[in-house]
Order: sequence, then C-alpha cells, then structure tokens
Amino acid sequence: MAHQRISSRRMGIALLVVFLMAGLLVSRLVDVQVVRAAELQEQSAEIRTTSEVIWASRGSIVDSFGNDLATDVDRYDVSADPRRVGDFRRDGETVTVMAAMAEIALITGANADELLYAVNSNPEAHFTYLVKGVSPEDRQVLRELRNPWLQMDLVRERTYPFGPVTANLTGMLGRDEPLAGVERKYDPCLRAINGTATYQKGADGIRLPGTTQLVEEPIHGGDVKLTIDSDLQWYVLQTLAEHGSRLGAQYGSAMVVRVDDGHVLAAADWPTFDPNDFSESPVEFMGARSFSSPYEPGSIMKSVGIAMLIDGGYTYSEDKIVAPGFYEVYPGRFIKNFLVADDRQLTTAGVLHTSSNTGISVLADRMPKAEATNYFREFGFGEVTGIDFLGESSGQVLPVDQVDVVTRYNQFFGQGISVTAAQMASSYQTLANDGVRVPLRLVDGCLTNEGEFVPEPLAEPVQVVSASAAQQTVRMMETIVSQGPLRNTLEIPGYRVAAKTGTAEIATSTGYGDDRVISLAGMAPAEDPEYVVLVSFYKPQTSRVSTAAAPAFHEILSHVLKHYRVAPSSEPAILPPLTW
Amino acid sequence: MTALAPSVVGAPRAMKPRAVSSTRQKAKADAVPKLRYIVVLLAGIFAILGGQLLLSIAVSGGAYEIASLKTDLRGSQQQQQIVGEEISALVAPDTLATLAGSMGMVPDNNPAYIRVSDGAVVGEAIPAEATASGQIFAVTAGTESVVAPEIVEDVFLTISTATALEADATDVLAPPTADLGTPQTAEPTASTVAVAEAPAPRFGGSIPSPVTR
Repeated sequence: MAHQRISSRRMGIALLVVFLMAGLLVSRLVDVQVVRAAELQEQSAEIRTTSEVIWASRGSIVDSFGNDLATDVDRYDVSADPRRVGDFRRDGETVTVMAAMAEIALITGANADELLYAVNSNPEAHFTYLVKGVSPEDRQVLRELRNPWLQMDLVRERTYPFGPVTANLTGMLGRDEPLAGVERKYDPCLRAINGTATYQKGADGIRLPGTTQLVEEPIHGGDVKLTIDSDLQWYVLQTLAEHGSRLGAQYGSAMVVRVDDGHVLAAADWPTFDPNDFSESPVEFMGARSFSSPYEPGSIMKSVGIAMLIDGGYTYSEDKIVAPGFYEVYPGRFIKNFLVADDRQLTTAGVLHTSSNTGISVLADRMPKAEATNYFREFGFGEVTGIDFLGESSGQVLPVDQVDVVTRYNQFFGQGISVTAAQMASSYQTLANDGVRVPLRLVDGCLTNEGEFVPEPLAEPVQVVSASAAQQTVRMMETIVSQGPLRNTLEIPGYRVAAKTGTAEIATSTGYGDDRVISLAGMAPAEDPEYVVLVSFYKPQTSRVSTAAAPAFHEILSHVLKHYRVAPSSEPAILPPLTW
Repeated sequence: MTALAPSVVGAPRAMKPRAVSSTRQKAKADAVPKLRYIVVLLAGIFAILGGQLLLSIAVSGGAYEIASLKTDLRGSQQQQQIVGEEISALVAPDTLATLAGSMGMVPDNNPAYIRVSDGAVVGEAIPAEATASGQIFAVTAGTESVVAPEIVEDVFLTISTATALEADATDVLAPPTADLGTPQTAEPTASTVAVAEAPAPRFGGSIPSPVTR
C-alpha cells in the first residue's frame, strides 16, 4: 500500500513536470508562432532572400544611318574590402599585395601606387573602389587572376563611340541625370528604369527554383534618331578646326541643311568637347553655339532683305538705282559702304553683288518698317527654330515701335537684329526652297522600347516670299560666286553655286568694336538648290573680312556635293546685269 | 434438385465442427489481404515520395541548368557588346580618315561622273593634288594634337600580320623562276609549255563584269 502511495506521488510529480514542460513548450510555441511570427518570418526571408537589380538600358541616340552616337554599355567597377586585402596563394605560389596590384594596374591601365594607396590609406574601411568602368574584356582577364579579394560589380555606362563629333548635339550624361542637348531634352524617350527581382538562394549560391519574384519590371529606354549624318558632321567639324585655328578665331559654327525637308545634316561647333571625358572641358564650349549664341549677322542678311523687297513689289533684279557713297538717314547721320565712297549706278542685283549698304538703304526706304518687321518674323527670326533645341536662343527682332530711323535701314544689312546660326541657315533654306520655309528638323523621332516609331511632329511649311522672289535672289547670289572677287575661291567646277558673304561687327557696351563675325551662307546647285551651307567664325584674328571664311565654305559645300552624289549643273546660268 | 438440397443445408452443418478452430484460421486468412493492403499502401507512399524526390531533383537540376544558361547568355551578350564596340570604333570617321591617310589616300572634292545613258563625262575631273593633306585636326577645346584612335594600332597590326602571311603564301605559290629560265634558253618549245602551264589569272584577266545583251 505504501509502495502504491509513493508511486502515485511520483506519478503526480512526473505529471506535474510533464505538464510544466508542455506548458512551457506551448507558451514558446505561441510566442514563436503567434506573437513574434511576422518578425521571425521576415528575418528568415531576409537571410534566404537576395534582391537583384535588373539593369535596364538607356536608349541610344543614333544618326540618320543608325550609327550609335550615344549608347549604354556594360562596365565593371572593381573594388576591394581593405580588411581582407592580403597575400594569397595561386598555383602553389604566393602572390603579394604589391604583385596583385601590379597585375591589376597592367590590365586596367591604372596606377599601381594609387591602387595600393586606396587600400592602405584606410585599412579598417569595409570598401574601396580600385578601378571604375572596366570593360568586359578586361574583367575577363581580371577574373583569371583568381584574386580572392577582388570584387567586380556590373554597372551600365554611357559611351559616345564617335567622341566629340556630335557632342554639341547629343549633350552628355552626368552621374545621375542628363546634363545637356538631346540627352536632356529627349530624356523622356531615352530614360530607362531599372527593375528589381528577389529570389531565395541555397547555401551554394544557386537560386532556389520557383522563388524568383519580379518586384519591378525593368523598362528599357527608346532610341532617339537624329537627322545628322555623322560622317558629314565629322568633315564639317574638321574643316572648322582647320580654318578656325588658322584664322585664330575664338570659335566657329557650320551647318548643312537639306533644302527639301529642312533636315539638319550637320551642325558643328568648334571647339567642342569629348562627352566621354568632359570633366576638364571649359564650360563655354560644352553647348551648341549654332543654336544658343545669337549675333548680329551682318551682310548675309542682305539676301533675305532683297528677297523681301522683291516679294513686296518694291524692286526686281534689273531695277536701276543709284547707290550713293553716303546715305544720309537724317542730317549728320550717314550710312556708308565698306571701302566705297562714290556714287554708283547699280541694279538691285548689283547692290547684293557688291554688298552695298547705301544701295540696300535706298531700296529699304521703299518698304514700310512694319512690313519689314513682319517679313523678318516670317523668315523665322525672333523665335526658336522648329528644332527647339535645349537652350536655343530666339534671337531678337525689335518690335516695330522700337525700330528707330537708323535701325530701319540697318536691319537690312544685319545690324539691330540678332539671330542664331540655325535661324540664318533656316532663312537660306527658305530662299533655296522657292520661298517656302520648312522648319528645321534635327530629331526625326523616338523608337520606343515596344518598337514603335514616334516621329517628331512635322511643323507646317510657310510660304514666306514668292517663288519668283526667292529665285531672283538666288540668281543674284550666283553672281557673287561666278563674277565676284571671291570667284577663284568659291567656284566649284561643274556646279552652279550661290552664296553671300557677311562681316558683322560685334556690338559691345560702347558701340561696335574691332572684333568681327565673318560668315558665308550659300547653296548648290543654284538652278535647283538641294543643300544649304552656312559657315561662321567668331572673332577671327589673322583676317577680319568675310573672304577669310570662303575656303572653309568652299570645302564644305564641295564635300557635300560629292558626299551626296549631286549631279553637276547642266543648264547655263542666265544672270542679271549688275550695273547700268 | 433434391440431391442438391441436403448438400446445401448440410454444408453449414458440416462446417460447424470446424467453426471454433476456424476463427484463428480465418484471422490468418484475413491477415493476408490486410498485409497486402499495407504493403501496397506503403509502396504507394514510397513511390510518391520517391517520385516527388526525383521531380524536385529534376527541378533543381533544371535550376542549375537555367543558372548556367543564364551565365552563357550574359557572356554572349557581353561578347556581342564587345564586338559592337569594336565595330563602332572601326566605323568612327576619325578611324576611317586615319586609316585612309595611312594608305596614302588624299581628299578630293572635285568628282566627275559618267552618265550611263550616253557615256558623257559630267563635271570636271580634276585629280587631287598628291600634296593635299589628309591631316586630322583636334576639335576639342584645349587640345593641341590629335591622338589616333586606339583601334587604329590594332588595325595596323592586323594588316601587317595579314600582309606577312600573304607574302609567305605568294612565295610558296610563285612559279620556280630559276627553273623556268634554263629551259627557255636551251629549248624554245619548252617555254611555250611553261607559259601554257602558268596559272590562269584570276577573274579571267579582266575586271569582272556582268554580260549584258
């Protein structure tokens, strides 16, 4: 009986212990499964789950032939954890840190001492970059080093394969955002959004099947297609560099425009910069001056003025006028000519041919100033071109009530009105295209990620002057090339060329100084112009007359005719008389 | 019918004496299908488990394959990019101009054309001056001299290697001139044979052109 009591007491204790333990386990279970469940689950997922960036490519900027002007490429950032950097063994041999750095330097072209400094300067740091932007080829070689502390991470980098050639137009990409040009303005088309995915991986680093979860889909950018012909752009830029440096010019711009559709085939600004490495480029040369820098164009505006006068019915090619040595605007205020001081009997064609300031003043007097202002605006001056380039200047056409008695005449020879090279090229396109201004076009459209081509909206062409007025003006401009003093420089054998020179004075705070902008604008073949070329140099030092721009203009225009296989002219020119 | 009846009725009776001992026997007999049932069940479970195991091995094997194929794909994409970058560097105007200049080509802006319809020469064909410079100018601000594109050196290297190989090849293919010389002087007929055996010029000795009627 006693035995049984003892045994039942034991039983009780044992039961109690069992219950206690069970209670403990249950409470633990509740704690884990209910109270801290969410937190613990999160922790475990965190340990197993890795998230990865799914890189999306920023769209490319391509020229009219589809050549990449700006594109995304894979690069690797090479880094190390300085705490882990040390000698290691490879194929039974010890590789010292020094030797390892020398290897890396040899492959990547970095400086071995700088690499050593990077890891030694702060040995307690967890991370330091060694070399950034290593190409996939070099990365392959680096991997073969089997260096245990070398870390390589994929990054996307922007490259500009043709370097400076189209830098003024494409602009460049900064660390996080596009800084200028097409890169910036067309960012909505080009922009890519990286995606992310999460997956769980096993101890061996292989992702567990069925655990990959796309958190955010990567969105690749679209491509922007330009109207630029990069071979031509290169040639134009080379010509600018050659003649610009010979002239000691501060800078130069040139444009080639296709007459039919206003496509800008080349728009070069010299000097320019390399968008692949612009950290040390002067800021003033990082833009597109053809669009951003307005200037008073000088005599190349006369062609436009003459076309306006003919269209308004105020004159015609053979119209006989007397161009005085001095044109008196009001008592004591004279307009004078370059080098010529006597009265001359010129036709209107002769006025343009000799670039007579007084002659054009006589003609300008016939047109009311409000009408002239209207014409200037119709030609596209005073507003941005159809391109609407980022940072484009609209130049300045004075409102009629601000056009004073002198400016009224000056405007006709390019003073008191400021324009950009792009606007000037556009006005010559109008003259070349029978008086129809087709707004300039630089961006053809955006090829979206889905393969849909979204063209830039086409602007409506404007009939600015009559076809007859435009053609008469072109005939007059032909006389400059075939009969003028620049004939030997400007003539292109086999082709009829029309051109006009201009030497503009640069306005300073105290009036017009010694510095000049020299320019030449023209077109070929003159009987039915296909291409317009405009060249200008700012502040040339060795020669300040417009003739100095002639060789560059001639080289570019003859290259254009050859490049696009333009058939030589077959009709002889019937040109107006210049004097009477 | 009557003969059948007693046997039918008698059957349970005849069994009766064995009834007690038969319960054990019956249990034994029942155990056989039960065991079979268990075996089948277990086999089924194991088969399912085994199948599941194989399936998961296959799936994870697939995961390894996917991983390796993805690596391959990435590698190929990068290879494509490397080649693409190389092509871009080769078609860059700077590269082309440098290479053209190195071959002695000079720019000529005075082309002439032959009009196919009447064979007339249109334009004025003026040959370029041999002295015309194919010089390349620096275009970036603050840069004095031009650095030839990196790829140009690779091209030069490739060209010189190819030329060397070609030279070797022509040496092998060249007719043994020393041997030809001797029979020519000794026996005139032999020379005609030698000429006849000389390899025919490629493309039939003229510029290849389509035959038109």
